[in-house]
Amino acid sequence: MVFVAGIDVGGKSTKVIILDDARKVRGQAVVKTRPDFPALAREALDIALKQAGLKASDLSYIATTGFGRYNVPFRDNQITEITCVARGAAFLFPKTHSVLDIGAQSTRAVRVAEDGKVRDFRTNDKCAAGAGGFVERAAKYLEVNIDDVGELSVQADKPQTISSVCAVLAESEIINHVSAGESVQNILRGVHNSLASRAMALMKRAGLEDEITFAGGVARQKGMVQALEQALKRKVNVSAEPEMIGALGAALLGLRRLEKIRHDGHEAATKEEPRVA
Amino acid sequence: MANEKAHPAIEALISKYREVVEGSPLEYTADWKAKHPGVKLVGCYPLYTPVEIIHAGGMLPVAVIGGGNRLEIAHADSRFQSFVCSIVKSTLELGLTGQLKILDGIVFHSICDPARNLASVFTRNFPDLMVEYIHFPQNLTSRHAVSYLAAEYRRVKASYEKLVGRPIDNEALCQSIRVYNEQRGLLRDLYRLRSQSPQNLSTVETYILTRIGTFLPPEEHIAILKEAIAAASRRDERLKDRIKVVLEGSFCEQPPLELIEGLEAAGCYILDDDFLLGWRWFSQDVAVEGDPIQNLARAYLDRSVYSGVKHDTREPKAKHLVDKVRETGASAVVILAAKFCEPALFDYALYRRALEAEGIPHLYLEFEEKMWIFDKARTEVETFVESMLFD
Repeated sequence: MVFVAGIDVGGKSTKVIILDDARKVRGQAVVKTRPDFPALAREALDIALKQAGLKASDLSYIATTGFGRYNVPFRDNQITEITCVARGAAFLFPKTHSVLDIGAQSTRAVRVAEDGKVRDFRTNDKCAAGAGGFVERAAKYLEVNIDDVGELSVQADKPQTISSVCAVLAESEIINHVSAGESVQNILRGVHNSLASRAMALMKRAGLEDEITFAGGVARQKGMVQALEQALKRKVNVSAEPEMIGALGAALLGLRRLEKIRHDGHEAATKEEPRVA
Repeated sequence: MANEKAHPAIEALISKYREVVEGSPLEYTADWKAKHPGVKLVGCYPLYTPVEIIHAGGMLPVAVIGGGNRLEIAHADSRFQSFVCSIVKSTLELGLTGQLKILDGIVFHSICDPARNLASVFTRNFPDLMVEYIHFPQNLTSRHAVSYLAAEYRRVKASYEKLVGRPIDNEALCQSIRVYNEQRGLLRDLYRLRSQSPQNLSTVETYILTRIGTFLPPEEHIAILKEAIAAASRRDERLKDRIKVVLEGSFCEQPPLELIEGLEAAGCYILDDDFLLGWRWFSQDVAVEGDPIQNLARAYLDRSVYSGVKHDTREPKAKHLVDKVRETGASAVVILAAKFCEPALFDYALYRRALEAEGIPHLYLEFEEKMWIFDKARTEVETFVESMLFD
């Protein structure tokens, strides 16, 4: 049996998925991202390998993605998070035509073809107001555990408006809402609504088509899913582990590449020479 | 890399000028002026300056194309709105910080509203600098367009005669046209070479070799181009698994070299581009027989390359882009437009429609000359490449 790994070195966490050639998940891991990416990726991979009952030498292909994709020296190839999230989402929800991926540092809207190939995409500007980091900062300020944000946001009865396009200014708005005695629930829902409105604009620029799959760690927050569905006026697909979709896509693309290489009868080769020896 | 070792001169030359381009071409020009006392310098704002008239007067035309990504904008921000493009602000910043004092004159023309107003801002702020402005004809099909532009060029020539203190005769003008014809012919050869074998001449190399022509005397640039073309022709690199693209949109403001390199490293061979268009703006030689001013005016109307700031109703602009893709054999287009560049953004609407109709994939990217982080652009290009390479 053939095994491949997809490693997603993201801004907040590093995720690993190990697949077999029947495209069944055999092992997975999530480790908080920290400096020394080679050691970090190795640690995350070892956890996933242990869960799968495999050794590193059992892996036939390792594909990396995420902002640290070039910093994993033992990779076979690196693929952008946009290509990976599209492939992963289409695998989980085959009728997916649009994907929204909100990670800690960036947001991507992708329009995909039937087979999960990228047709068009847009990414947010270098701006914290458009990504998961914004929710984290708001949660920190409101002294709420990030894992509770989703549930609290759903309980809002009078969502507050966060209108600023800048995360720093939005924090001032949050302070004003706190001073005015607004509930944490209503403020958090305002944060989610603000993020959803930005995400919708990005998705419209990439081209919005049903079905929509919501990926990335922020998709775990129920209030965010609700805000997005209200903004888009339609239901969105959310998997049980939306933050793993990028790593899953990397593993799927790695497996596809391996199959092609073996079919064509030549050795694995990177698109370009790896920049890390 | 054996070929590179075999021709070290060209690599050393490009490396030397890369430092100048990334540092300050104006400092280089200041050193040049110190070694050539008496020669007057005229700054040329993009895009279509008739450099022959300046050169024929014994002056050196030098490009004023922004401040690159190492210039801190401290003063110009208070003069312009936040939605004005970077090149306008950085050009004013260069003036306000005294870096344009080496210039004896500067010339602007009607390319967009901010550029047009920049001429007035310069006139008010720098009274010692001779600021000239060329009004190009907007209606290229009018039978009066040539005579109008010729009259405009004669007015500009009179202005430069005053600056240099002597008349600029037809013989000198014809000789300057010959010199710039040769320079532009070599630039066309350089572009052809890169288009035919992009593995042997990178876009960043092509860019540097073109860019130095914006501040070196044309005669010196011609010698460098001849040497570079000969050396690049001898290279024999392996063609890599990359997609071939045409790049469009950066005709005025110039992207940092790292961004150009990033596009290539992300998996693109750029077969044609519109960088530094103003210094290679004739698709054919300018005629040398007859009245040189009339020839220059006619060349602008009939032989100048298309751009976002020239409105030629005789042929749709998007057709030029589609033709360029077909002629070079590219499989996609990268639109690399400067942030807040109205002409480029207006054109994108036309280009997008035409490219989609022709089934040519394209990627839209925005840049600013003062840009330090290239990850986002690189990721977008990589994704675009992957969407074409991965099945």
